[in-house]
Amino acid sequence: MPREVDPSLNEKQFVTQALEENLRLDGREFDQYRPLELTFGEQYGVADVTLGKTRILAKATAEVTVPYADRPLDGIFTIATELSPMTSPSFEVNRPTETEVLLSRLLEKTVRRSGALDTESLCLVAGQKCWSVRVDVHALSHDGNLTDAACLAVVAALRHFRKPDTSMDAGVLTVYTPAEREPVPLSWLHSPFCVTWSFFGEEGETAVLDATWLEEQVRVGSCTVSLNRHGEICQIAKLGGTPVNAVVLLQCTGVALAKVKEFDELVDRRLTEDLKRRDKGGFMAELRAENDR
Amino acid sequence: MAPDGPLVLPGETIDPSLVPSHPKNPLRLGPGLRHIPPTDIVPTVAGQLITNPVKNSMWIEYNSNRYIPSPNDLILAQILRSTTDAYLCLITPYSAPATLPHLAFEGATKKTRPQLAPGQLVYARITPASANRHMDPELECVSATTGKADGLGPIGVVGTTSGSGSGSTGPGCVFDISLGFARRLLMARSREDGGVGVLEMLGGEEGGGLAFETAVGRNGRVWVGSESARTVVLVGRALQETDRAGLGMEGQRRLVKKLVREMK
Amino acid sequence: MTTTAAAPEAALGVLPRADGSANYSHAGYTVTGSVNGPIEAQRRDEHAYEAHVDVVIRPAAGVGGTRERHLESILQSSLTQLILVKNFPRCLVQIVLQVEDSPENDYVNTKLVQASLNFAIMPALMQTAVLALLSAGVPMRATATATAIAVMRQEEGAPTLVVDPSTRAIETAQSAHVLAFTSHGGLLLAESEGDFTVKEWDSVYDTAREICCRSAPTKEGMEMVLDEEATRGPDMRQFLQSTMEAKVAKDLHWK
Repeated sequence: MPREVDPSLNEKQFVTQALEENLRLDGREFDQYRPLELTFGEQYGVADVTLGKTRILAKATAEVTVPYADRPLDGIFTIATELSPMTSPSFEVNRPTETEVLLSRLLEKTVRRSGALDTESLCLVAGQKCWSVRVDVHALSHDGNLTDAACLAVVAALRHFRKPDTSMDAGVLTVYTPAEREPVPLSWLHSPFCVTWSFFGEEGETAVLDATWLEEQVRVGSCTVSLNRHGEICQIAKLGGTPVNAVVLLQCTGVALAKVKEFDELVDRRLTEDLKRRDKGGFMAELRAENDR
Repeated sequence: MAPDGPLVLPGETIDPSLVPSHPKNPLRLGPGLRHIPPTDIVPTVAGQLITNPVKNSMWIEYNSNRYIPSPNDLILAQILRSTTDAYLCLITPYSAPATLPHLAFEGATKKTRPQLAPGQLVYARITPASANRHMDPELECVSATTGKADGLGPIGVVGTTSGSGSGSTGPGCVFDISLGFARRLLMARSREDGGVGVLEMLGGEEGGGLAFETAVGRNGRVWVGSESARTVVLVGRALQETDRAGLGMEGQRRLVKKLVREMK
Repeated sequence: MTTTAAAPEAALGVLPRADGSANYSHAGYTVTGSVNGPIEAQRRDEHAYEAHVDVVIRPAAGVGGTRERHLESILQSSLTQLILVKNFPRCLVQIVLQVEDSPENDYVNTKLVQASLNFAIMPALMQTAVLALLSAGVPMRATATATAIAVMRQEEGAPTLVVDPSTRAIETAQSAHVLAFTSHGGLLLAESEGDFTVKEWDSVYDTAREICCRSAPTKEGMEMVLDEEATRGPDMRQFLQSTMEAKVAKDLHWK
């Protein structure tokens, strides 16, 4: 596929020079995110996140399968991140780039390894039957900061998702179709989010949040902090060669916590709205009609 | 202004009465049309059919993002690397590189040719002879008839002194815009014909007389240079927002005022 | 003839960084498509006289398999006919179609991880690709419209045709057909599954042609069309026309 070309010397120099004067090309503050929007699809478990010109679609699905032999009491949970040529023509199908590998590892550490989803609850019959939950992350448009947007989309999709209801009766497992029984939500323990800082300048003294693609190409290093709204840090990944002062990093994590609380609120709010929308004409709507009178 | 025609989709038949018929001049077909011998003229893109009976020409007006090289277009290219006798330049991302001969600069000889580093921006013209679909496009930074640069050449040169023109304004920055907007900016009377007054406003009363330079490339890239980085950012944002939101004159005026206030 | 779906919906230019893009939803299917091109082709795809058209179909969940590759090759050959590939030798026109939503069958728990795309998604894929190409301004010979039709055979009497069938209808149908026509009225694509007779195929062809190729209503014919609207199913060509009209009007607001 065609190569990704570095930005021009002019752009590289200008971005750095402007940052020294406390300016970003889109006029944002250093700790300001681009407009963030989250919508849910018609089906359960589809989340669409727009962050400026970056757009991520995440879809959660579940099926019954056999658990791994060494973990008979756990269900299976996977996050699939594959960047298609839709993200950028320089990505090729089935040929992972560095961006893709880093993204999938970060999501893995942030969501899967932090125990956000209770995998034991996915077990149906020990050693024989369990749920396999899978999230597919599709990057539709890439204008920087795929990590934060993708993490938000994954968490939102999983919290929105409903898996088919099941019952055990005399050793017989029944999986109900959506027509028979309303599907049930996953057992969700905490919501971790990623906040990525990009560093600029000779010693990485300038730190900005939510870098655009151009800023990402010019930065000297980056640091992704994953944490939940209680301030529990799931992972910190510092990438890029330039060393960054420890005090700067500490400040960064402080701001990250504030951002994570905003993300958490956004997901909660959108989930509530979606629930109301789905309940239209149902029990809730009836109650409200009576109240009006 | 040419009379406005109907909306056309690829492959539609054009009403023969709309085709201009000039007694002497040959019919000239512009972008978005193709001629199927003997007499059929068929649109290939979706847009508005525009005809000019005086020049006996017709074309389709539409907007897109992917630049296709065409002779004599002024474009903003980026040097990729140097070969033995030419620079390879990028006009649009992911397309085949264009060649810019080392001697296609004003007064350039083998000894005095400008040394351009990879990543350097040049404002260049697509040579009339190239832009053939079977060849990679060729660029020039000098007029073949006068031998003068006429404003073409490396821009926003950083670190070197060999560049002509705008070396004093710092690196400046490049902003991506749609091809239709680039075309409107390049119109001789962009305010009247193209409905863009945003640059004039920024340099005039509404913008408080900002001092800046621009170089608009038909390939959908604008370079903005100024001594003040703040001005570059302001102009760039104003251009991109005007393009994105499709602002009219009044909208542009309001946008300029808003941005100037914000960035004080 | 019965139809199960509401009118199609589309939005163009939804992906700001692609050359062209479209989001299309109809009959429960939602597909987002991006087009980049003409761009530089890889050496192995390079053709000395024409552009290579690359179609990538990505299911919403799970990894693509042979089913997707099959659909890709069908679409690839159809779209190569539409695009003026000879204009761009040694280039590549890349079309990526991302399935976002497909109708669920509430009566079965499908195996999702190894998702296999449904046959009936083809019209949505085709339509998205055409809209994205139009949005990118890629030169084309003609536009195209597509539809899916299922033949339900009754115990007795003539078989009924279902336009834009649901997943459930396809399962119970005797045969399913996907047809696409160019704006010149030529048959661009015909794929069928199941058992059917030549007579059935003929009636499927006539119905599909009616949906895909109905000429835009003229002023005199308007009233007649309004009367028949309910019985005639969706008018794909009219839909394409009005979608593009909105796009062009937005692009040329300064005129």
